[in-house]
Amino acid sequence: MRIGTLKLSYAADEALLDTPVQWLWLAALAAALVLLPFVAGPYWVYLACLVAINVASATGLNILTGYTGLVSLGQAAFMGVGAYTVAVLEIRLGTPFALNLLAGGIVTALVGVIVGIPSLRVKGLYLAIATIAASMILHFVFAHWSLTGETRGLSLPPATIFGRALDEPRELYWVIVPVTALLVLGAANLFRTRVGRAFIAIRDRDISAEVLGIPLLRTKLTSFALSSFYAGIAGGLWAYFFRVVTPESFPLITSIFYLAAIIVGGMGTILGGILGAAFMTLVPEVLKLFVGLVAPFVSDALSLLAPIRTIVFGLLIVGFLIFEPQGLAEIWRRIRRFFHLWPFRT
Amino acid sequence: MDWLFLAEVSLAGLGAGALYALTGVAFVLIYKATRVVNLAIGEILMLGGYAFFGFAAGAGLPVWAAIPLTILVGALAGAVIERALIRPMLGESPISVFMVTVGLGSILVGLVELGFGADPLRLPEFLPNDPIFLGEAYLAPKVAYGFAAASVLIAIALAALRFSRAGVALRATAGDQGAAYSVGIDVGRVFSLAWVAACATAAGAGIVVGAIGGISPTMGVFGLSVLVVVIVGGLDSVAGALVGGLLIGLIEALAGAFLGGEFKLLATFGLLVLILMVRPYGLFGTHEIERL
Amino acid sequence: MTHTWTRRGLAGIIAAGLALGAIEAGAQSNEDIVLGGSIPLTGVFAFAGVGIHAGIQDYLKIVNDGGGIKGRKIKYVAEDTAYKVDASVAAFNKITGQEKVSLYYGDSTGFAKTINPELDRRGSMLMAGASFASELNDPKKFPLQFMAGPDYTEMVGILMRYIAKEKPGSRIALVYSDTEFGRDPIGPGEKLATDLGLKVVEKIVTPPGSVDVSTEVLKLRRANPDFTIFHGYVLAPIPEFIQQAKQMGMKSQFMGTFWSMDNSMVQRLGENAEGFMGVMPYRYYYDTEKAPMLEKIRQMRPEYQSTAYIQGFVTAMLMTEAVKRTLDAGKELNGANLKASLNTIKDFDTGGIFGVPISIPGNSVPVGRIYRYDGKQKQMVPASDWIRLGA
Repeated sequence: MRIGTLKLSYAADEALLDTPVQWLWLAALAAALVLLPFVAGPYWVYLACLVAINVASATGLNILTGYTGLVSLGQAAFMGVGAYTVAVLEIRLGTPFALNLLAGGIVTALVGVIVGIPSLRVKGLYLAIATIAASMILHFVFAHWSLTGETRGLSLPPATIFGRALDEPRELYWVIVPVTALLVLGAANLFRTRVGRAFIAIRDRDISAEVLGIPLLRTKLTSFALSSFYAGIAGGLWAYFFRVVTPESFPLITSIFYLAAIIVGGMGTILGGILGAAFMTLVPEVLKLFVGLVAPFVSDALSLLAPIRTIVFGLLIVGFLIFEPQGLAEIWRRIRRFFHLWPFRT
Repeated sequence: MDWLFLAEVSLAGLGAGALYALTGVAFVLIYKATRVVNLAIGEILMLGGYAFFGFAAGAGLPVWAAIPLTILVGALAGAVIERALIRPMLGESPISVFMVTVGLGSILVGLVELGFGADPLRLPEFLPNDPIFLGEAYLAPKVAYGFAAASVLIAIALAALRFSRAGVALRATAGDQGAAYSVGIDVGRVFSLAWVAACATAAGAGIVVGAIGGISPTMGVFGLSVLVVVIVGGLDSVAGALVGGLLIGLIEALAGAFLGGEFKLLATFGLLVLILMVRPYGLFGTHEIERL
Repeated sequence: MTHTWTRRGLAGIIAAGLALGAIEAGAQSNEDIVLGGSIPLTGVFAFAGVGIHAGIQDYLKIVNDGGGIKGRKIKYVAEDTAYKVDASVAAFNKITGQEKVSLYYGDSTGFAKTINPELDRRGSMLMAGASFASELNDPKKFPLQFMAGPDYTEMVGILMRYIAKEKPGSRIALVYSDTEFGRDPIGPGEKLATDLGLKVVEKIVTPPGSVDVSTEVLKLRRANPDFTIFHGYVLAPIPEFIQQAKQMGMKSQFMGTFWSMDNSMVQRLGENAEGFMGVMPYRYYYDTEKAPMLEKIRQMRPEYQSTAYIQGFVTAMLMTEAVKRTLDAGKELNGANLKASLNTIKDFDTGGIFGVPISIPGNSVPVGRIYRYDGKQKQMVPASDWIRLGA
């Protein structure tokens, strides 16, 4: 059992990892991530990439919604901006893919700042609705601008690194997972800085934060920019992963998906974004397995899958909000505490 | 400029706008009483359309029986939703409740797809089919009857809100919950009532919307336009919903006719952004003052 | 709490994933030839997907009951996609990860475009699908793809050729959905119309699905076309269009392309179905002209089967034929060989499903004929001879 950790300095208190056990687990995780592509089947590598992309985007949304308290239903559209930027650069200019990804992030951050401007005047639900409007307008632009290939969208060549085309999930894995890991690490560190703490202050009470001397608009826009940057990078990865970008790739429901992911995972915790995105991506797969199991006994089992998936998606959102508003991260914390305090308290 | 064409388009737009207004009133009813932004309003409307389809086409009931039954289904759905999903969220942040309604929308879409399949369906024809001409301007009969039905329903809703005991209680609760409690109003019942009335109204609107465009599990996107309507009008203003509804209907029709069908949503959401920047609390909404 | 344990959670999930992956591996037969499918059994295209699913299964049953191809059976592995590109890609990855797939049926144009580079890279399979997109009809850009019928531009071409022959110089309106599917044949179609001496007087874009189209109908009425061609819809909002147009006394002839031509769909137009025309590369289920394959279908399924069913059936047939020719030539089953074998199909009899013997010189089968709905028989009946393009 562990009753607490002794800390002798603020630096130690702020440290991301505070016990050797945590380092051990982290090493184990890193090893698992490295080993995964060698042992898992192609489909599971594919899923791992998808989970990683969703984790990146959900973490970005978590910065904005979980930490700054600005609800956005535009995350998918922001991903679209990143994906299109990457696609256009790749097709038109053929610039190296790392540069494209970065450019995707930066362009999206700029768009995010523009979309975030109303956050000065409106907040809460009004802001959420403003982001819906923004994503509708972006969707229109995607579908009708010749640069973005109009309704037919863009197909792009695979990412190349040192002359080698990364055209398989197993290869892209080595790009997607490290990038996501970096982004997550960046987010975790963000909240040890002044800016990150300003975000939290705004979430908790924006007027008080302003009284404390935090410039509201600038900080809110920074949050929008950072969050969109994450979405842009995630979108860029998405573009290289699927290698086709169409206006239908980033519908409103995907934005809802990310919001649902951080709700289910736990808003305002880094762990929550990761758990939520992974959970929400994998639930449909579990349902698929389940439907595959009952398929021999039920006629049309395949066609039941999509409605059931829709229902489960809704039930998860509703269920977590009503019964576990802190999300999976809180469940995880309870489990941890149980083991820490065992056998004295259960 | 073809004035006759403009007149016809405007009439069609106002017809569609009346349905927006009706659904908008349902939306405002819920918001006024319970401060819940119900994004599932479009899905409840869809539920109404499918319930009517089930009664009229599935069970073969005559239309005069199917309509009240559909509205009853809407009312029941409202009661169940309020009890099961909204009541437990009392006191939670508005965003959480909003997300609950988003989840609810997803559940309803899945249930309808499970029961009726994903293909678009057509409601049995029950509206008279003769064309209507106002002067020389043609008006699609369904749109005209839809307008009439919406007007009647809105009038009933307004009258109930104004004169009935329940309506007064609802307005009192909207004004000040604490005060309403202290004068003996059962606020819990008012909440239920608002949901029941709003969902019944939305289900009724679903019949008309379904009759005009057919029904499909994706027809809930109608709710997105309604969202714009109530934001433009002001979330807590019935008059705002009426004006906003007609305005949005008109703008969509004009954009569709003169710019092309793909510009409809763009025009709607462009207006939304404009309103949010200029008058964030809508044309008629209450500007809430924040205190520390 | 600290943000430390983050990775532990992910590790758990990945460990679980690994375990599941281990269960899924195994069970692979080298004997069977696998036809994989991303099929839209739900979602907006479910109507078509369900038919396609049944059609493919039925044809493969016929083949397998007859002993397969050179003793090898064809195994069909499909997943539902809800007509979403990412779900289709996921299904593709899953199926190809678990089986050695030689043939693939994909649902949307978007999916076909996404997967084709992957097909070229793997080089192991031949793909067809529910998309008749003009873009896909390019053997250079999409060497491992084909479609069991004319592409959308060719469909519109067949309609316009018919119009130009029946009523030269007619005024035409194009009504299409604001989707890739809808916009596909519009540009080339307009050009073709001019070449044929027809006038395109109006182009109307609508959102797909159930929407209020009152204003669009008003526009159509102003344009006063002799022929109105719908494209990019399954059903909605075509019925509303026709109904309101008829109420206003419009005399335009309404036409559709493949996916809005199923008999049961057209029946749903009610009395407005009368006279609805469109282009169809296959015979209908109930067609009584000499067609042994339709006979067989009717034996297997006594109730009406949709045109989507026929599409799935005939696609499976052409795929099987390509496999057969490849194996007969003693070549390896890979994408290039399968496609080459497919292209050797010349004056091939599909058992009467296509009304004429067909050839597949490229990626499409540019054959079709005009049908017209007869309210008395409640059926689409032929209104023209078979029209071959480019012949």
